Parts: sequence; C-alpha cells; structure tokens
Amino acid sequence: MPLTHTASDGSEQQLFCGPTSFVRALWGFDVRVRALPARANEFIPRRPRFVASNLWLPASPLLGVPGSFSDYLFAACAHISAHLRFGAPRFLIKSLKPAQIAIISLLEDARVERLAVAHYPGLKRLWAPYYEARADGVKTSWSLLSRLARALHDDAYVDDDAWVNKGRQLFSEGRAEWHDSSWCRHIGSALGNDLGQMRVQFNAKDYTVEPAYRDDNLGLWQFEREQIEDGTQLESEGVRRVESDVSSPKQRERGEPEAASLLEGSSERASSLRPKATTEVESVARYPEWDYVIGRERPAFCSVKERPVVPGDAARVATALARYAPARKRLERSALRLADRRPLQVRRLLDGDRLDLPAAIETIVAHASETRTDQRVYRRVRFQSEPPALLLLLDLSESLNAVPANTTSTLLELAHSASALLATSLASVAGDLAIHGFSSNGRHDVGYYRFKDFDEAYDDRARARLAGMRAGLSTRLGAALRHAGRALAVRDSRRKLLLVVTDGEPSDIDVHDPKYLEFDAKQATVSNRRLGVNSYCVGLDANAQECVARIFGVGNYSLLDQLESLPQRIAQLYLRLSA
Amino acid sequence: MSAGPLDAYRIRAEPYYLALADEVSLFEAAYAARLPVMLKGPTGCGKTRFVQHMAWRLRKPLLTVACNEEMSASDLLGRYLLEDGATRWQDGPLTIAARFGALCYLDEVVEARQDTLVVIHPLTDDRRLLSLPARSEALQAHPEFQLVVSHNPGYQSALKDLKPSTKQRFGAIEFDYPARAQEIEILVHETALAQDLAERLVSVAEAARRLKGHGLDEGISTRMLVHAGSLIRQGIGAEAACQMALVRPLTDDQDLILALNASVRACL
Repeated sequence: MPLTHTASDGSEQQLFCGPTSFVRALWGFDVRVRALPARANEFIPRRPRFVASNLWLPASPLLGVPGSFSDYLFAACAHISAHLRFGAPRFLIKSLKPAQIAIISLLEDARVERLAVAHYPGLKRLWAPYYEARADGVKTSWSLLSRLARALHDDAYVDDDAWVNKGRQLFSEGRAEWHDSSWCRHIGSALGNDLGQMRVQFNAKDYTVEPAYRDDNLGLWQFEREQIEDGTQLESEGVRRVESDVSSPKQRERGEPEAASLLEGSSERASSLRPKATTEVESVARYPEWDYVIGRERPAFCSVKERPVVPGDAARVATALARYAPARKRLERSALRLADRRPLQVRRLLDGDRLDLPAAIETIVAHASETRTDQRVYRRVRFQSEPPALLLLLDLSESLNAVPANTTSTLLELAHSASALLATSLASVAGDLAIHGFSSNGRHDVGYYRFKDFDEAYDDRARARLAGMRAGLSTRLGAALRHAGRALAVRDSRRKLLLVVTDGEPSDIDVHDPKYLEFDAKQATVSNRRLGVNSYCVGLDANAQECVARIFGVGNYSLLDQLESLPQRIAQLYLRLSA
Repeated sequence: MSAGPLDAYRIRAEPYYLALADEVSLFEAAYAARLPVMLKGPTGCGKTRFVQHMAWRLRKPLLTVACNEEMSASDLLGRYLLEDGATRWQDGPLTIAARFGALCYLDEVVEARQDTLVVIHPLTDDRRLLSLPARSEALQAHPEFQLVVSHNPGYQSALKDLKPSTKQRFGAIEFDYPARAQEIEILVHETALAQDLAERLVSVAEAARRLKGHGLDEGISTRMLVHAGSLIRQGIGAEAACQMALVRPLTDDQDLILALNASVRACL
C-alpha cells in the first residue's frame, strides 16, 4: 500500500507512521515527521528538511525522482536519522563561503552515511538508486558536487575529474577521523578553495542538494540570525504546541497552510451550534489524549461530561421498529439461545472426559450380541461462550443529520432504529447491553449520553431517551472511546465488546491536524484492549476506510454501502461477534 | 530410574541449548529441592527448548502438555476407556509423570481454564499428592516427579492471568531474548548460516524489538529468526525469507509492514 492515498474527492492524506517506526526500529529514538508545506514556486526542487528531531518530508512524489514514493521516504528518513545518530552540534558558519558550506554539508552527509552503513549495510542499497550523476557533461559546481557525492557513496564509480578524485581521496584517507564532524570542516574548506581557483561559479540560490533523498542541510548549520523561514525554529524548541485551545498566533506560523482556514470555518460552525447543547452536566471525567507528534499522552487533557438525555416520544421508537420486524424475530431467537449459559453436556463422542454410560451400555450389549458396535461412548462438558457485554457507542456529530444518497432517513434516524432494534431484541440479555452516544465541542466539552445503561431494563423510560437522541457538533472519538472503555472494563463478563458507529474521521474544533485525533483514537483503542475491551467499528462513510482501518485495525471494522441496512447489520454483527 | 511406561518420553540426544545466564544451575537447584518451576518470558525465546535440555541433563523423561481453553482436568489426569466390553483406566500425562517419576511441562499454562488448574494444587505443595476422583485414588507423587509450567506475561490481557494461589506455588525463572552475540551463536548453530548473515538477521530482530509497545505487541523472536534462517538454507533469498518468516507473521498493520520491510532492507 502506498503511503499516500488519494481519497475520492482528490484530497491527499499522508501518514508518516511507517517512516517514524522505521527510524525507531533502526536507532531506537523517535522523530516527528510532518509534511513539507507545498510551495508555489516549484522551479527549485524541494528537499526534505530536519531541525533537531523534527522531520519535514514531501507529501507527494518529487519530479524526476526514480522508484516508488514510499521507498523515497524511507531513504530520506534513513539519511536524516543518520545525521541525528552520528551528527555533532550544528556547524557555525563564521567566515565560510557558500560553496564551502555546500561542500562541508556534502562531506558530512557522506560521513554519517558511512557510519550508518557500518551498522546497517543494506542502507547503501536503499540510497543507491538516487545517485544519477555521471562523469561527463559540463563541469558546473552543481554537477561536480553531485559527482563528488556519488564518488563518496559508490567505490566502484569512476570519475576523471581531478577535483572529484581529490575529494574522494581526502575523504577515504580521513577514515580514522570519520567519528569527528569537525574534520569535514577542514577538508571541506580546502576543497571549496580549490573550486574557487578552478573558476567554477557557485550560485547558492540555484543550488539544490543531490541526490534527492538528502535533506536541504539547514539542520546542519547554526545561523547567526537563526531565521530558517516559516517559523521552523519554533518547532525545534521541543514542545510542538502551545497548550491553548483555539487561535494561538504561534500555531498560525506553523507552516501548515490549511490550519488557519480550517480554524475559521469550524469555530463559526460550533458557535452556531452551541445553544443546542444541553448545559446541565451530571459528572465530568478527565482523560489523557495521545499526541503523536511528541509521542506521549497529555495527561488529563479532555473532559468528558455526562449529560442527561432530554426524553423524546417513546411511541416514535415503536414506529421506527415496525420496518424491521423480520430481523427482530431472528435476533430475538438468537438472543434467547445466548441467554442460556448453562454448560452443555455433549454426548456420544469418540473422545471425552467421561464415559457416557447409556452409550457405553449399548455398546457392550451390541458387542455381546455381536452386532455392529458404536465406539462413541464418551461425554464432555462444553462451556458455552457467554454473551459479551456490549456497549453500542454512537457518534452523534453534526454529520449524522445528513440524509445520505439513496435513502429517505437521516443517519441519525438509522442509528436510532439500530439502537432500538438491538435493545428490543436483546431484552433477554438486556443487563449486558448499553447504548451510549457522544458529541464534542473542543477538548473541554465532550458530551456523553447514556440512552440505555448496563443493568437497566429496556423500558419506556429508556425508549423515551432513545427517542430523544439528537446530533450536532464534532467527533472527539478518542475521549469517548476511553470513557466507554472504562464503563465496559468494570463489567464482569469474560468478553467486552465496544461497537462504535461513526460516519468518518474524528474531528474537533480545536484540532487542525487531521492525523492528531486519528492517532489518539488508535491509542484509545489500544489502551482499551489492555483493559480487556475489544473494539469494532461500523463505518457509515465508505470513503473513510483507511482512517477507520488505522484506528480499529484490519478486520475490526466494516463499512456500510447500504446505509438503510444499518439496523440489521448491527444486529448481525452482534450475533457474529458473540458466537 | 523407572522403566517401561516412560521410555517413549526419554530424550536420547542432547537438545541444543545455549545458557544465557544462570538458568541451568537455578533449575538444577529447584529440581533438587523438588520446587515446581515457572518459566516466564516472551514467546519463542527458548523456554520449551530449555525444558527439553534440562530433562536431558537430569536424565528424566519429559511429558509436555500444550494447554488450551478446552482442556479439562481429565485431559491431565486420565480417563476410562472401553475395551472389549470392559472399562480400563488410562492415565493422563500428569498422572503418568507423577506415578512413574518424570518432568511434566504445562506449556502456556494461562490458556487453561482456572478451574482445571486447581488439580495441580495438592501436587505442588509439600503433600505432593495427586487426587484422581474418577478412580477414587490419591496418588503420592514419585520422588523424581517435578512440575514445570511456562507463561508469557506479555500478551495476556488483564483477563488472563494465573490465580495468586496457583502462582505462589512456583519458583520462577525469567527469560528474555538472548543478547546479540548469543543469539548469533544460536542462529549459526540451528541453521548453519554464515556468521555474517546471522549477524544481519539478528540486527533485523533488534530493530523490530525496538517497536515493541510502539505498534508491535511482541518483537521478532529467536524462533522466528531460526525460521528465516531455515528458509535461507532452502535457497530462498534473504529478503524474501525475512518477509515470510519475520515481517508478515508479526503484524497486519500496513504502515508497520512498510517500516519493517525497510528495516529488513537496511539490515541485509
């Protein structure tokens, strides 16, 4: 699977999860990978960039770079991580000329790569496809530097240029000094002077680092004025995000062009919705949130507020259910079977714990009367799989009010029917079923509603609460998953199942990075699993497949094409997962 | 030494085992004191091989039971068989070991239902008694009998753990993946790979182990490395062998598969 996929609406979504894991696997430290902001002027080819352990990688394939994009990203990551592993404090520019800076950077690139290859010999093959310099053509500073880079990488490469060969010789003679980056400075300055004497022009503005997987060298140098453009130095301070909620001016400088516009839109929407939310709060629980950028949980970051549900008209539930009578019958029968938890005596087995006496006697009689004997004379106790404790968690964000194509009901009405069908049919195991919902309005306000709770009969009051289901605001999935996970974890069933119905990616008004909540939700699923709670997701948006798969894991989700069938599908799923 | 029923369970040739620390002398001391032993550690790090090796070393027969949820007490103790119109009692593996004096090894003991495991309780304290209710027999364990169990605390959920009353009957030896030099030695011995290639495979494993808790539940085990090595010995290319034996069995997460594949290429 490529790292980048294009969704049907043409928007691209990147997850640099693979490269991050790759660096961790190689060296045991974590880096933060982000997309390199797109640039209007594409005349100058872009290169990856790093400042301390922050990496910026291109979000789409670069022009003229061979091989698959994912190979390229791994090659770039391997190179930058070699800098991080073997590099020294950043070089000071002092009186160096631009050509010398470029050459010293090139030598430093080769130095850290050699050291990395000593640990991981295969890295050389990872990088090899990107060396395209050839020992012919016009000798410009750019072509000579590319040729030197190749000469330092590839011992089999033959070059006729005296300067390239001198560089190669100095580099390999200094083998003993490779542990020391200041050595690069010495031979780099000397080679730069040579280049000047050869009257080869070096234009820093047109210079691009070759080969293409290498970073743009900004991370190697300490600039006196420390102006790296677009505020990247903010990132190197260690903490990415100021812990303010919405519009901090620093965030606007973060070089994420989409952030600002997203911000405006969503806060407007939220304020128009806010009056609809119930203000009465029954209890507040604080949960951590996973920040994938710093690779840590932010403790007590989200507040989940339990709110009472304003009851609706219970009769509405009955009307909605009428459509699903056949499914309901099937489901009821299966639920009855599930409710019967007594261990089964399985008789007439070829192998078992004890003799099945009636069968044994028959066999002995048959043996005595010399007729055909049946050897199945054992019995065994089979413990029935108990019905799991099931929590149906409904995403009640604004998008549920939409009427999808080919349907006559809103998603909310379908979710509502699904809950009603499940609750009605599972009356025999009602104690093990809960139906909750959530919608969020920023991290301090994740609303959580209990329509039907565990150990509660499905009665008129519960039906009225189901009928009072409303949708609005956003989807802070992770916090809701954690809250639901806690509710399930304390059940004493052997199996605990969290069935999540959501219509797409998690989002919230105070988050601008779409990956952030997705990673948090994934983390919440993992920590729920540690509590013994397994999650399964029913996705209502077929375009959200990648996102849902990443959060819940392969095999732990299904996507609905026929949204009308949501109630039946939920019921079928329950039966399949309980068997 | 007892004869007869245990002959099939004797280990004739020495199973290869490279001692990583003092586990061999610990086990010998535990056996001398007849203290039941629990081997803890990640899957594929050599617990089963260690038991085989110790059984050989102590010249004791070894009965192994792979535990599972469906296992009942009679799978351990024994049952009546019907033969020619009459019943005949057949000892289960635990009973055979206790009756005739052998090591009994319950592999992945947490997989068994807790109510099944209580049958080992009187056997594992100073009574050393095995009760066979179906036969109305209380069997005094043979002086050479010893119980060994294995247990992987890593991937068990909160639901699957031993009862404290079961746990406390054992002395425990902790296992982990071997150190680099030892793992290379094991790999070279088991697969006859060239030293250089073995080193690279171990680098792959070390890389993957750094991802434990960062997406992976368990790292690449020594057993998986041996699998990869055997595939290479069969003439499969090293990268393909690593993918088949190391990467694909480990995870289904696409991003991690990409990262692991890149790590494999970096190491080889």
